[in-house]
Amino acid sequence: MSLDLLLTQKITYGLNPALAEKVRKIGFQSYLESQLSPKESEDTIYFQKFQSTTYTIEQNKKLETRNFTCLKLSAQELFSKFNKPDVKEKNLPAFEVYADTWLRALHSEWQLKEMMVEFWHNHFNVSILADERIAISLPLYDTTIRKNCFGNFRVLLEAISKSPAMLYYLDNYNSRASPANENYARELFELHTLGAESYLNHLYNRWKEVPNALQEKPIGYIDEDVYEAARAFTGWTVADGSDNQKGGRFPNTGEFLYFEGWHDNYQKRVLGVEFPPNQPPMADGLKVLDLVASHPSTAKYICTKICRRFISDNPPESIIKKAVEVWQANLKNPQQIKQVLWTILTSEEFKESSGKKSKRPFELLVSALRSLQIDIQPNQMLVYLLAQTGHTPFMWATPTGHPDVASYWHNPNFLLTRWNSLIALISEDWHKITKPLNLQMPSNLKTPKEIAQYWLSKLLPIKYSESLLQKCANFIAGGGDIDEEPVFYDERDRNHKIMNMILLVAMSPEFQIR
Amino acid sequence: MNRRDFLIGCSSSLAVSALSSFETFTFSEQDNKDIFVLIFLRGGCDALNMVAPISDKNYIDARSQNLRITETGENKGWLLKNTLNQLDFALHKSAKPLFDLYQNQNLAIIHACGLPNGTRSHFDAQDLIEKGITKKQNVNDGWLARYLNQKQLDGAIPALASQNIPLSLLGSSQVISMSKPQDFNLRGDPRLKGLLKSLYNGDTLLDKTVQNTLKNIKTIQQKQPKEYLPSVEYPNAWYAQSFSNSLKTVAQTIKMDVGLHVATVDFGGWDTHENQSWVFDSLTKALSESLMAFYNDLSAYHNKLSVVVMSEFGRRVKSNYSNGTDHGFGGIMFALGKNIKGGKMYGKWNGLATEQLDNGVDLAVTTDYRTILGEILTQRLNVSTPDLKKIFPDFNLSNPLGFIR
Repeated sequence: MSLDLLLTQKITYGLNPALAEKVRKIGFQSYLESQLSPKESEDTIYFQKFQSTTYTIEQNKKLETRNFTCLKLSAQELFSKFNKPDVKEKNLPAFEVYADTWLRALHSEWQLKEMMVEFWHNHFNVSILADERIAISLPLYDTTIRKNCFGNFRVLLEAISKSPAMLYYLDNYNSRASPANENYARELFELHTLGAESYLNHLYNRWKEVPNALQEKPIGYIDEDVYEAARAFTGWTVADGSDNQKGGRFPNTGEFLYFEGWHDNYQKRVLGVEFPPNQPPMADGLKVLDLVASHPSTAKYICTKICRRFISDNPPESIIKKAVEVWQANLKNPQQIKQVLWTILTSEEFKESSGKKSKRPFELLVSALRSLQIDIQPNQMLVYLLAQTGHTPFMWATPTGHPDVASYWHNPNFLLTRWNSLIALISEDWHKITKPLNLQMPSNLKTPKEIAQYWLSKLLPIKYSESLLQKCANFIAGGGDIDEEPVFYDERDRNHKIMNMILLVAMSPEFQIR
Repeated sequence: MNRRDFLIGCSSSLAVSALSSFETFTFSEQDNKDIFVLIFLRGGCDALNMVAPISDKNYIDARSQNLRITETGENKGWLLKNTLNQLDFALHKSAKPLFDLYQNQNLAIIHACGLPNGTRSHFDAQDLIEKGITKKQNVNDGWLARYLNQKQLDGAIPALASQNIPLSLLGSSQVISMSKPQDFNLRGDPRLKGLLKSLYNGDTLLDKTVQNTLKNIKTIQQKQPKEYLPSVEYPNAWYAQSFSNSLKTVAQTIKMDVGLHVATVDFGGWDTHENQSWVFDSLTKALSESLMAFYNDLSAYHNKLSVVVMSEFGRRVKSNYSNGTDHGFGGIMFALGKNIKGGKMYGKWNGLATEQLDNGVDLAVTTDYRTILGEILTQRLNVSTPDLKKIFPDFNLSNPLGFIR
């Protein structure tokens, strides 16, 4: 049974009492099955929290309390409201996504979905700091990812390629013949699909030289593929009211727009495949998406990343191989990603991976709040608290997304800031995000050892080491006997000791991993 | 105070003194050690918008006027002496501080240099450069980490990275990352530090990092003045703030006298695929003004300070239709210090005609980036030739540029 709980920790933002109870009852496999078929209507607790939560933002140097208003708006509504020169709160839609991401990670029934939404946001990274229109359209981008997070990769890839957030972020909204802007095309190959390992420019100068290119199955890509793919996507832009450079203006609907006037319509060759000239609208770009989404390197690259997310920093080759087979066998399946996840999360390799993954700062903070059942009322300080730790959802500057290996996160600056953020969230009030932790305990708990056990079982409900228990109990006892009722100087002294013991557990090696 | 409270007080001071016995450092030999600061411009700095032969017809034809340095008008650059092939190279208009440093012979410019590997990927290029190699191979540590691991450094903080630790320093346990000394502390009950030390007592990377962090909290909190007052004013404009604060932290740490020997600073945002002229202008201003402030702030250290500025690659000669430039090849490096033979350009210039370019599109790399770093290592940081081979495998410093005094 404890294995079931350990595995549950790996696909969620941490256990809380209700989740632990549920998995104890139905077992990990049934839990996983239900997690892979989430029903929005059954997300009662999150929905209640969302309805009742307000957030505060600073406006004219005063704190204002707001209700969520942007998340359900259409592209047209978002753009007509925010894409105007005189509107000051252009980041508001993005902040609502940010706050909602916290609420869902904390309260949603569909934890695995949240993990995968975070995964795809990182895989298809955009930063709201790159362009204010990315902030305006972020709710749409989030919806696109949510809709397809367990679905078909080719479908997701096309939805992303037509998303205003991505079109702005990698400059394709501005790409026209000629020379085209190569930014999107390059990252499409390197980061969204085939991966850097398949970039063979240091080995081959011409497309024909790449092994198997003449059979239209090149083993990787080179700059010529990037140049040609960039031409294929010329004219893929956003209807944001700007000048079309051909004597007219685009409408301001915030939606994807294909503008023939910017498209480079002549023949191309991508991954060994010839594209005839003068294709119908968007056919060139869609063909590129077909080619990259079905390339075997894409399967390998993305399956490796998913395994890294759920198993360990260096996942075993055996499980990657199995996941790749399922990925390739389901290229047209509308539930392709779900099939791959099922393969990975029911594997022996996964079962043996408990504790092998270090929590990223967001996971650490959310899991602490979940296990201590602390609620939040989001404000802008939340962004700052997390950003200090190096974790900046929706604001990571480069298209790589946040690193997913411990070696990046385990450095002095990030360790101190992650712990300081934890301390601030759990025990301090200056940031006005969390209500103070309720330190009341059942009255029969008297001795330092009993007090320590009580809180340890909240944060580490599966197991904790004897030595951690000793240290916690000694901290409460303050030099006295851990089995004897401690003498606290006053209520403040008592709360200070218990609070700092809780912080110690949250900072312990055992709580840093999943 | 009751007995128990007294005991608590005792145990916490005991914890502190136990900590401090671990932390007795000697600062000998630090006085004559050089300080090396590496600044990495992330994203691919457009070398041809920074320093270029302004009357070259190929240059003029390849770029719209606002993406190049011009002889006259709004984008008039700073004309340099001692250039490559005696061409009329000039510095970007916003790089006046760099021009002054060049004029004073403290700054050397190395052009058409970079990674001798045809990659145009940020990820690949940074990865290879920071690992000190030229083709993908099984190397996991950074070149600066390999350098530090060769040395017996006895200072409290031999190496410092701003914000996070770059790949070049990965694999060294002597490095700390810190955004601001004042903030380098753990909140909460002071006894937590001692307890954490006892919880992280294994020998994993995480354990070692925690030990190193806790050890350094004390050193830094003892050494740093309450608020750092630099001897000069650092630029404070929004576009310069983050980079200039990182340099300020490095300067502050150098002055703390904790044996700082190597520091790295990342400066991002150079991936200018669109609307380059405005972005590049801000970045160049930030780079030049901050570097000048940093250099002046450390005037007492000029004899032992070497600064190198580099990027993963340069950008395409021809600009694109979104008023930007795409990923290119040959790039630019700067070397700054009293020990640098400044006021001169170094490297080999092939020219910008199509047939002179790499693959017909990009400035060719004629100087391996390791030549510049290798000269610093051997001449300023006392690395022997066999040891250089361990830092940069498959590399011989056979054609040094001679930019160090």
